[in-house]
Amino acid sequence: MSAANLAVDVLLIVGVALELACVVGVLIMPTTLDRLHYVGAATTVPAFCILAAVLCREHLSSGGIEAIAAIALIFFLFPVLLTATARAIERVEESED
Amino acid sequence: MNAFIWAATALAILQLPLLVVACVRRPIDGLVALELSGVLLTATLLCLAEGFHRSFEYTLPIMAAVLGTISGLVFARFLGRWT
Repeated sequence: MSAANLAVDVLLIVGVALELACVVGVLIMPTTLDRLHYVGAATTVPAFCILAAVLCREHLSSGGIEAIAAIALIFFLFPVLLTATARAIERVEESED
Repeated sequence: MNAFIWAATALAILQLPLLVVACVRRPIDGLVALELSGVLLTATLLCLAEGFHRSFEYTLPIMAAVLGTISGLVFARFLGRWT
């Protein structure tokens, strides 16, 4: 097994395992705002592990650059979305009190 | 089946508990699950594009990232206003 294949396998296993941890976080955390943290976490280290695995294969070809664009988009856009969601959660929980 | 197809399969399976959360819990909790589902979908499409060696498929994760964000913003706005 070459080093590149080993690196790809390790990166994918770590990426999927961390995404699993984020899903478990969304399932079991007590409050909605706590769960929101795990959505933000899913856009960081796990996404970059999967991106690194793709770049091990594609390097900087057109596919590699598009993969960088996809992960960069969720990395930069999702904080905006999570902020809007947090405000919506505050409103919902105020109206429920 | 290569490593990327296995990873895509595992990531797709991770969508199932989020679907249960979206169906069972409050709408606002369903939105949180929907947003994580969007992140997982982007990663799944990325792994499938690499696993099938089709470079033209890399456009799909880019679209999923943008549309996942926009749809979440729309849900967040109306869920915050209508309850």
